[in-house]
Amino acid sequence: MTTPANDPITLEIIQNSLQSTADEMFAAMKKTAMSSIIYEVLDMGTGIMDARGELASSGAGIPAFIGVLDKAVKVLIAKFDKPGDIEPGDVFATNDPYYGGVTHLNDIIVAMPVFADGRIIAWTANIAHNSDVGGMAPGSLTGEATEIFQEGLRLPAIKIISKGKPIAPVMDVIKVNSRMPDVLEGDVWAAIASVRVGDRRLKELATKYGVDTFENAMDSFMDYGEKTSLKALKDLPHGTFDLSEEQDDGRTFNVKITISDDEFIVDLRDNPDQVANPINTSRDGVMVAAQMIFKSLTDAYSPANGGSFRPIRLLTREGSVFHASEPAPIGFYYEIELRVYDIMWRCLAPHMPDRLAAGHFASVCGTFIGGTHPDTGRQYTIIEPQLGGWGASRQGDGNSAMFCGFHGETFNCPAEINEARNGLYVDRMELNTAPGGEGKYTGGRGIVMDYRVRNDNGFLTAGYTRSKFPAWGVDGGRDGSPNYVEFRPKGGEPEQFAFVSGQVTNTDDVIRVVTGNGGGLGDPKERDRDLVRRDIKNGLISKEKAEEIYGPV
Amino acid sequence: MANKTIRVATDVGGTFTDLVCFETDRDSGQSRIITAKSDTTPPNFEKGVLNVLAKGEVDPKSIDFLAHGTTVVINALTERKGVKVGLITTAGFRDTLEIARGNRPDFFNLHYKKPEPFVPRYLRRELPGRMTYRGDEIAALDLSPLAGIVEDFKADGVEAVAICFLHSYANPAHEQAAMAEVEKLWPGVSVVSSHQITREWREYERSNTAVLSAYVQPVAQRYLKRLEDGLTGDGFGGSLYVMQSNCGVDSLEAVSRIPITMVESGPASGFWGAAELGKLIGEPNVLALDIGGTTAKCSLIENGQVKIMTDYWIERDRTSAGYPIMVPVVDLVEIGNGGGSIAWVDDFGKLHVGPQSAGALPGPAAYGKGGTNATTTDANLWLGRINRDYFCGGEIDADMDAAGKAIKAVGKKLGVDASEAARGIVRIANNNMVNALKLVSLNRGFDPRDFTLVAFGGGGAMHAVALAQELGVKKVVIPAGASVFSAWGMMMSDLRRDYFVTNLADLSGDSADSIEALFAETEDRARDQYAAEGIDRAKVKFLRFAKFRYQNQEHTTEVLLEDGPVTAERIAAIEASFHETYEREYTYRLDAPVELVGIHLVASAEVGKLTMKSEEPTGNPASDALKGKRDVDYALEGVHQADIYDGTKLESGMTFAGPAVVEDPGTTIVIHPGNQVAVDGYRNIRITIEK
Repeated sequence: MTTPANDPITLEIIQNSLQSTADEMFAAMKKTAMSSIIYEVLDMGTGIMDARGELASSGAGIPAFIGVLDKAVKVLIAKFDKPGDIEPGDVFATNDPYYGGVTHLNDIIVAMPVFADGRIIAWTANIAHNSDVGGMAPGSLTGEATEIFQEGLRLPAIKIISKGKPIAPVMDVIKVNSRMPDVLEGDVWAAIASVRVGDRRLKELATKYGVDTFENAMDSFMDYGEKTSLKALKDLPHGTFDLSEEQDDGRTFNVKITISDDEFIVDLRDNPDQVANPINTSRDGVMVAAQMIFKSLTDAYSPANGGSFRPIRLLTREGSVFHASEPAPIGFYYEIELRVYDIMWRCLAPHMPDRLAAGHFASVCGTFIGGTHPDTGRQYTIIEPQLGGWGASRQGDGNSAMFCGFHGETFNCPAEINEARNGLYVDRMELNTAPGGEGKYTGGRGIVMDYRVRNDNGFLTAGYTRSKFPAWGVDGGRDGSPNYVEFRPKGGEPEQFAFVSGQVTNTDDVIRVVTGNGGGLGDPKERDRDLVRRDIKNGLISKEKAEEIYGPV
Repeated sequence: MANKTIRVATDVGGTFTDLVCFETDRDSGQSRIITAKSDTTPPNFEKGVLNVLAKGEVDPKSIDFLAHGTTVVINALTERKGVKVGLITTAGFRDTLEIARGNRPDFFNLHYKKPEPFVPRYLRRELPGRMTYRGDEIAALDLSPLAGIVEDFKADGVEAVAICFLHSYANPAHEQAAMAEVEKLWPGVSVVSSHQITREWREYERSNTAVLSAYVQPVAQRYLKRLEDGLTGDGFGGSLYVMQSNCGVDSLEAVSRIPITMVESGPASGFWGAAELGKLIGEPNVLALDIGGTTAKCSLIENGQVKIMTDYWIERDRTSAGYPIMVPVVDLVEIGNGGGSIAWVDDFGKLHVGPQSAGALPGPAAYGKGGTNATTTDANLWLGRINRDYFCGGEIDADMDAAGKAIKAVGKKLGVDASEAARGIVRIANNNMVNALKLVSLNRGFDPRDFTLVAFGGGGAMHAVALAQELGVKKVVIPAGASVFSAWGMMMSDLRRDYFVTNLADLSGDSADSIEALFAETEDRARDQYAAEGIDRAKVKFLRFAKFRYQNQEHTTEVLLEDGPVTAERIAAIEASFHETYEREYTYRLDAPVELVGIHLVASAEVGKLTMKSEEPTGNPASDALKGKRDVDYALEGVHQADIYDGTKLESGMTFAGPAVVEDPGTTIVIHPGNQVAVDGYRNIRITIEK
């Protein structure tokens, strides 16, 4: 017998509506944000949590943000645990990884409880990268930070709107701490508009179908996510796999993964201590990396929810690079998370060659360029991840010029918009034809992009990894090529960097962004001759070089 | 004959070529309507058009106005049947087409395949020369490499050339010079420059637009030429217009130049029809829904205006980034949910409908052509919503055994009986469509309860009332001839061109003159283009829209400006209407400076479109059209005995109440218990939802 509260069709309809609500929240935020990193790069995410803070549904955006919101909401629920602490119309914010913020201080999470029948039935939340939240350097990110206090204003899971009314002093404090106060204010309001849209939709759903049915739908959706994961887990090779890998900065990272019928255990306890540089990450951040690789291996196509991730067990050691304690700085946390993601991928690749390709350029290649627009006199800040090459797989050559695995529905900035908005020239943006990634199937190409600045006293900050050790090849395929940024001062000597902070730039200096080719797969000698000829015709490799690597053409 | 005006619309689809003909008596204003259908005849599509005219007994010599809609462009794109294209672009940017935007929509899928560019790297060539975003030249164009490039293109079998330079939206001089030189070096080659199609920024989107336009240009030109020759050969001497994606028609000459503008002409004509119908019957705010065999499309019409945008993509979905085409296209949401959509149960017992479709072959199980999958149509048959004895207008014997077997298979996986499964299929399909309708309304700040639902296409009328009830919509209109409604829309169209021009300016009194100059200059360009085709300059009418945003934002909000020049005095009022529009869509407004990002100018000219005349009520009761009763399962509202009406016998002024079903050869209208129905003077079925 079906009753309204567990009629499978009704539950399905509610679940579809959760998905479309998360998407609607995403669209609202994207269209109103003021930072290009949000509206163009879409360095943001939206989601719906149940009353306990479990992720019920997630919107578009970047996969690295999907597992963040639930962790923040859980911290809010624990902190505001007395009657009257949370009321209808309230909106909360956190950006601090030591208070549920997971990532770094630039990423503000905004969350709103959804009330129906006098109780909380869900939370709507979003996260986005804000251009400047104060701290010692413009853009708030700097390799020079030795404590989190230098990385910006900390919002330790606080209320910003009470019963629908902004708490003015809090809003003022947030605004005054930014070098770009209007932009920050606009972006925070975009986030508030987005959680409010979600709140409205969920209330309508709960009113229409009843709160019990609504909650049932969320529960069963998460159980469905868990079942999907468990089924897929059975098809993965079981056992314990491990890997040690040397990093660009000389540290060695270690991972051990154990896969069984019902668990996916990631052991990262055997790793170096945290450091007084912003290259640490919170435990929550590492969990997100584990969730991403797990989701890709088990069920890449359906939306993720809290249930999908239940089989994951993460082991870390507090005080280590992967489980940093206050006050360790965490500005470039994402490169560290990516390293974890990449070593898990590399650790498993030989054991599941049909599921996992060769390594990709695997760095956000975060590039921060700022200064004064020569035509308008306004300050500008470019904050952008870069495109790079993906690894070859058994299905064929890797993709060229895509964002790294941490990004998804992320868009690069058109040169025409960049030149107008930021007042510099983009002299070129083309595929990287440097050697690297050759194989039976080749890695995709990275890019080479030249920014020529048009004014004095600007700055360049960047933090790239896989600069010394490029994307890894498999089965005899060659490694890819390195990621780096090259500063080419007018009339001076070019200088290459993986990390650079606050480099002063002047008129006609060129900032060259170079991202790596992905790793190759298989012996280059086995590459189809037609493909080699096509590569030559397309100017991706010279005939001489091709004959040297691939043999007679 | 002399006192009759004959207007014809022909619509070439994948399977059928449709005809609608209005023969209007000039004295009485009364029209006789002829419809006909014949097979589409690839590759000689003009034959199908002549065939359908013959079938409808319409003499080409007698036609005054002929509007033509075709899928030739979209088919050439999706079937990759265009020509080999060479691209000429700015030095340093040959890879723009391949780099694209770097996004990965299904981001957990590590085997994502980036869409292949339509031009391989060796056919993407560069010329030195540079403009700034303000249109100033900072490096002169060097044409000297062009002769060599053209030789290479010829040697490589290129048939069409696309040109796209950085910032050509601000100053097209370099593109114009390069194009002239290509035409000189290679007389007769098909060539197109990006600025001819769009004057908006974003180099990847504009390059891809130029490339796809070049790709289909020779194919579409051949098609249009043969159509024209075929018609004139049979004595046609009237005016021939081609349906565009922006809801207007345009002359054959103009369309032949930039045929890519036809890409979404099919849906556009239906939505235009809905807007015109709304105006005709005093319902200017319309949610328009077109349900076909494989997809459902919807669009919102506010105050009689369709919304035209330029962020259109083909082959873009949750698994692919697709390809952008920056041409004016009616704003629509399309989902994979039509009559032929397949219902399926996943490994975990969850029911889904679509996006896979049974297509025309084998089609729904009830077609009896070997289909074993249950489709939405099968479920509608099973529930008695579609008459099993009058399936597809009586042309097909419904194979109820096959339908039952397919639905039971779904039910078995769900652990329910066939009827419960069929109800589930209809409910899930409805929910998918409700979500699409929410995307065009709620998601853009409009409350669907303020709109009238106009539903057409083969399946629109079957689901319309259920969707309206779900959304709180109070009125539903099923147009007369709902299954050929798109063709009617074509006949209601004006000549229309949409000009989008990117131009950054602060919105302030100081910039009023330059904004006005931009509008005036674009209006002159539009008048010149129309005049060159013999349209009187004075007959060209304009609508001015402007795209604004708060400083530092990227996405813009479009605002319709009132008539009259933009002056310093009017700036405050314009700014106020932006704040208002913005707040409606996004729930808040800011006290921040406002910027103009560009303009959108609509230039239209009437070409003697159809005017409709209302019929007086006949006074006959609806019972004259009653043909029986049967049990109909209304899913959420249970099983009711419904009155069944013959749609062809319904007359102006008849009224009746639900539960009822109206059947005519093209559509089935499902009317729920409590609904009130009235047939209006144009024989539209007007349904009022209870409450």
